Amino acid sequence: MVNKTRLYWSLQIGGWILYAAVQIVAAQMSATGGVSTQRILFLSYEAFFCFLLTHGLRTYMNNNRWLALGMPRLIPRVLLVVVGLGFTMYFLRIPVSLPLGLFNPEVGFDLENILGLSLFYTILFFLWSVFYFVYNYFERYNKSLKLEASVKEIELSNLKSQLNPHFIFNALNSIRALVDENPQKSKQAINQLSNILRNSLVTEKRGLTKFGDELKVVRDYLGLESIRFEERLKTEFVIDPASKDFLVPPLMIQTLVENGVKHGISRLTEGGLIQLKTQVINDKLNIQIRNSGHYVNGSKKRSGLGLVNTTQRLKLLYGSEARFAITNESNNFVLTEITIPHLK
Amino acid sequence: MRALIIDDERLARKELIKLLEEYPSIEVVGEAMNADEAEQMITDLNPDLLFLDIQMPGRTGFQLLESLESVPWVVFTTAYDEFALKAFEVNALDYLLKPIQADRLSEAVHKIMEKERAKSGRGAGKKLGLEDQVFVKDGERCWFVSLANIRYFESDGNYIKVYFDSNRPMIHKSLNALDDRLDERAFFRASRKHIINLSWVEGIEPWFNGGLMVKLRGGDKVEVSRRQAAKFKDMMSL
Repeated sequence: MVNKTRLYWSLQIGGWILYAAVQIVAAQMSATGGVSTQRILFLSYEAFFCFLLTHGLRTYMNNNRWLALGMPRLIPRVLLVVVGLGFTMYFLRIPVSLPLGLFNPEVGFDLENILGLSLFYTILFFLWSVFYFVYNYFERYNKSLKLEASVKEIELSNLKSQLNPHFIFNALNSIRALVDENPQKSKQAINQLSNILRNSLVTEKRGLTKFGDELKVVRDYLGLESIRFEERLKTEFVIDPASKDFLVPPLMIQTLVENGVKHGISRLTEGGLIQLKTQVINDKLNIQIRNSGHYVNGSKKRSGLGLVNTTQRLKLLYGSEARFAITNESNNFVLTEITIPHLK
Repeated sequence: MRALIIDDERLARKELIKLLEEYPSIEVVGEAMNADEAEQMITDLNPDLLFLDIQMPGRTGFQLLESLESVPWVVFTTAYDEFALKAFEVNALDYLLKPIQADRLSEAVHKIMEKERAKSGRGAGKKLGLEDQVFVKDGERCWFVSLANIRYFESDGNYIKVYFDSNRPMIHKSLNALDDRLDERAFFRASRKHIINLSWVEGIEPWFNGGLMVKLRGGDKVEVSRRQAAKFKDMMSL
C-alpha cells in the first residue's frame, strides 16, 4: 500500500513537471526572441492547476469507488468529469493570466478559443484517466491472479489433505466395525464423512465461507476422528456467538485442526485434547486451536509448506490485518492462533 | 497358528478379529495397542503370526520388527501410507489395506499357512536356526530374510553387515550379541569380524599363521582366525 501511494505521488508530480517542462521548451522554440518570464510562470501555474485537479479527481474517484464500477457505468462518468474539468481548467487560467498581463479578453472569451483549449485540457485529463485506470486494472488483475493461484494451490492441497487417504480409509474401517457395535453411531459417522467429502469436492469459487459452515466441517471431522481414537481424543469447543458474523477462508480452520491431530494426538500413546476457541475482540475474530503435543519448528517439510500456504493466503485476503502464529504454549500444548478482521 | 494383532485402534482390532473368525486354524492370542506392548507380548506369547499396523503412536511397526531378534510371519495392515506401500511393493511383503477385504485376507492367510507348512519346527530350540527369519531395514528398503539365505555377517563398528543375495544391509547390533543368539550348529564365529553360515561353505584352504580361508558358495572368502581354526576343523570333519 505504501509503495503504491509513493508511486502515485512520484508519477503525479513528475508527470506534471514534465508536462510543464515540455510546454516551456515548446514555447521557447516557437516564440521568436525567446519566451517571456511571465509565460514561463504561467505555464508552471497551469501545470500546477492540472496537478491539483487530477489529484482532486483521484480522491473523488477513490471515495466513490469508481474502480469497482463496470465499464458501461464507468466510461460515461469519466467522459463527463473530464469535460467538466477541461472547462474548469480553462477558466482557472484566467485569474492566473490576468495578473501576469497575459490575458486578452477578446481572445479569452472567444467561443472558438474556449472550446478549443477546453477540448485540449479535456483530452489531457482523459489521457490521465486512461493511464490511471489502466495501471489500476493491471495492478488489480495481477493481484487477483496471485490470489487465484494461491487459492487454487490451497484448494488442491486441501483436496489432498481433505481427502487425505489415510484419514478416509481409517474412518471407513472404523465405521465398518461400528456397524455391528453401534448401528446408530455408524449412521451418524457416515453422515459426517459424506459431509466432509462433499465439502472438499464443492469447489468454492468464493475465497470465503461462513464461520458457521466451517465450524460444522470441523465438528464432523473431529467427530470421525473421535470414533477412531476413542478415549484418546478429547475435544472442546468454546465458541463466541458473535463469531457467526465472520467470513473465514474455507477449510483453513479444519486444516489446522487436522494438523493438530496428525502431529499431536496421533503420536501420543495416551492421546490428548483438541480445543477450538473463538473470541471476537475489537471487531476482529480470534481463533485459537490448542492441541496436546509439542511443536518442533520446521521439523516436517510438508506441514511447513502448509503453514506457509496459510500465511500467504491470509496475507492475500486480509493484507497485514490478519495474524497467524503457532507456538508451544507450555510443554504439553501447542497453540495455533489466527486473528482475522471483519469483512463486510 | 497363534496370531497377535497390533493396532492402536480398538475398532480396527475388533474388525480384524471378526474377519479372522472365518479361519479356525488361526487363533488370536492377544491384542496390542502399541509397539512396546507388542514387544512384551511377543516375548511372552511367542506368536507365529503378527497382524501389524505401521503407523502407531510411539514406535512404528517397522521399528518394532527391527527390535525383534527373530520375527514371526508378518502381515502388515495399513489404511494408506505412501512410504509403507512403496516398501511393500519393492519387497513383495504381505500387506492388507484397511478396510480389509475378506478375499484379500483369505489370500494372505493361505499364503502364510503354505509357508508355515513348507518349513518345519521353527522356534523349537531357543536359538536362531536356519528356519528362522529376521527383519532387516536399510533406509527405505526392508526384507524378511530367512537365516538360511544369509551367507555371513560382518561387524562394522556398532553395526553388522548382513550378506544375502546381492544385498548387504546393516543392522544395529553387536556381533557378540548376535553370536550368542545363533544356533552354533548352523553358524560359526570365524573371527572377531565374521560369523559364517556353515551351509554355505564350499571349500577350505590353509592360510597364514595357522589360520584358514573359507570359500563360500557365490565366491565370497572369509578368513578363519588361528584361534578358531582348530575348532572349525573339528566341526567340519564330523
